[in-house]
Amino acid sequence: MTSRPRALLADDEPLLREQLAVLLGRLWPELEVVAQARNGREAIELFDEHEPEIVFLDIHMPGVNGVEAARAIARRAQVVFITAYDQYAVQAFEQGAIDYVVKPLDAQRLADTVQRLQQRLASAPVDGAAVDAVLEQLAARLKQGGGPGKPWLQWIKASVGSNVRLIPVEQVHYLRSDEKYTLVVWEGGEALIRRSIRELADELDPDRFAQIHRSTIVNLHQVVQVIRGPNETAEVQLKGRTELLSVSRSYLSLFRQM
Amino acid sequence: MQIPESNVAQRSWRDWFAGLSVERIALVLGLVTLVVAAVNPLFKNTFLELWSRGLLIGLVLMLAYTLAGNWQQTYVARWHVQILAVVLLAPLCAVIEAIVDTHGNIDAVLNDRHRVAGFFWVLFLCLGVGLIATLVALVREREAQANAQALRFALEKETLERQALDAQLRVMTAQIEPHFLLNTLANVQALVETGSARAAPVLRSLIGYLRAALPRLRDSEGTLGSELALARAYLDVMQMRIPDRLQFDIAVPAELEAVRFPSMALLTLVENAVRHGIDPAEQGGRIEIGARREGEGLRVWVGDSGVGLNPSAPPGSGLANLKQRLAAFYGPGARLDLLDGDGRGGRGLRAEVVLPSTERRA
Repeated sequence: MTSRPRALLADDEPLLREQLAVLLGRLWPELEVVAQARNGREAIELFDEHEPEIVFLDIHMPGVNGVEAARAIARRAQVVFITAYDQYAVQAFEQGAIDYVVKPLDAQRLADTVQRLQQRLASAPVDGAAVDAVLEQLAARLKQGGGPGKPWLQWIKASVGSNVRLIPVEQVHYLRSDEKYTLVVWEGGEALIRRSIRELADELDPDRFAQIHRSTIVNLHQVVQVIRGPNETAEVQLKGRTELLSVSRSYLSLFRQM
Repeated sequence: MQIPESNVAQRSWRDWFAGLSVERIALVLGLVTLVVAAVNPLFKNTFLELWSRGLLIGLVLMLAYTLAGNWQQTYVARWHVQILAVVLLAPLCAVIEAIVDTHGNIDAVLNDRHRVAGFFWVLFLCLGVGLIATLVALVREREAQANAQALRFALEKETLERQALDAQLRVMTAQIEPHFLLNTLANVQALVETGSARAAPVLRSLIGYLRAALPRLRDSEGTLGSELALARAYLDVMQMRIPDRLQFDIAVPAELEAVRFPSMALLTLVENAVRHGIDPAEQGGRIEIGARREGEGLRVWVGDSGVGLNPSAPPGSGLANLKQRLAAFYGPGARLDLLDGDGRGGRGLRAEVVLPSTERRA
């Protein structure tokens, strides 16, 4: 062994960083903690600066999280994840490519991890492909809920008086273009926003919102009925509203019986 | 695109006859029979002759009433159209009846005093009975509508009450987030292991938080004061965990602490501010809790200078639940508004609860 092994610790909670440093000092006196990072971005910067052999990364960190930081580091060091509980699918770790410890820290469990790290440092270099596979899996878990593709607009920012209100799209009844602006009519009132109806049509979830006229988009969940008129015309009636919104001929196909 | 098929109303010929029921036809039959029986002695015609003609006129007028009622237009009130239809059609029916009776020989009618009198009798009966029947029908329809509306109101009220109960149940079974608990305990452990004197106050805050946040089965309402104490316990714990990233300030006039407030409502907003505002921010931020009286009502806010709201972040169930509970607690005038920014031109989010009155709804 040419030199003492060195480690980087990253956790956004200072007490936990300190505790980990103290425990490691007790279990592995030769290990030198060269730096402590408060988030993923700092972890990557400090790693590049010190290039330690071992990196302890809290998964849940602000900005760049632990998994994202690990992707930037993993092939160049032994990574150990820190996690509060198995919300990040401990089975991903069980393949053994990446080690992990759970908070609150257990000295016995940490001792096992230290032992494994010592063995790995002595024998095997990092198995890049296996590590990448685990990280891939973890990143997918973290993203869960986001789903593939573009996320739809869920909130509309509208100026009301001197405030900018955030209106959940499910409360919107309809949107109507008003020259440069768009009128948002929702259960709490009306407001003008500085965005075109065309832009909004692209960003709103098509399962919930439909354009029924060049200047009108309605929330389909608020539609009570569609009244057919003569000559290929129709009007839409919305929950709790008296006004009828006309459907122009080119959008009529939306309401053809399915 | 999922529009229930039943909502897509194709305006077909059937719609013109909505309301045309066996009951309605039976009513016409009965009324005509009664009227004809009463006036039969005045006419030379047999009962059957009069009855069949009367029935025909009655049915025509009833049909006109139905069609006029189903005419979808926005120019004139519906009942105006219905009365007008009957008033116009009744004389027409009388004239046609006279023509048919004399096989088109109008002179015969005009030259016969009895026939002229007969014609006026028919005209009078058509108009009189037709109008009275129309008015009675309109009044009955309006009553039925009022009943239906009362029923709808009752249903709405019941739905609201059920939602309130659901929301209350959700609060009672609310769970402490395991992530929060384990991370906090990890901190306490770290303090104890290092023999820090701070361990005791942190444990006190945690116990205070747990005591308040664990399911409260009996009381679903607290006061603004007790809610503030809970929020402070939570923020104390969080600040101990991320001291470099969280500052907070609570500025609520002491006289407002006795105001009743739904339990856990304030904590929901504070937890949201930490979890979605401060925690994701590398530099952290500041949380400000405030309240002031506004007339009879109250405005309570929780602002943070964190990352702000991502317009494509799906709204969580916490805010929707809170909104329902506020409505159940204070009535439909209670609002929960989300405002962009920290109020000083910076990033962040501010949640405001606005109550028109602090009286709890009966």
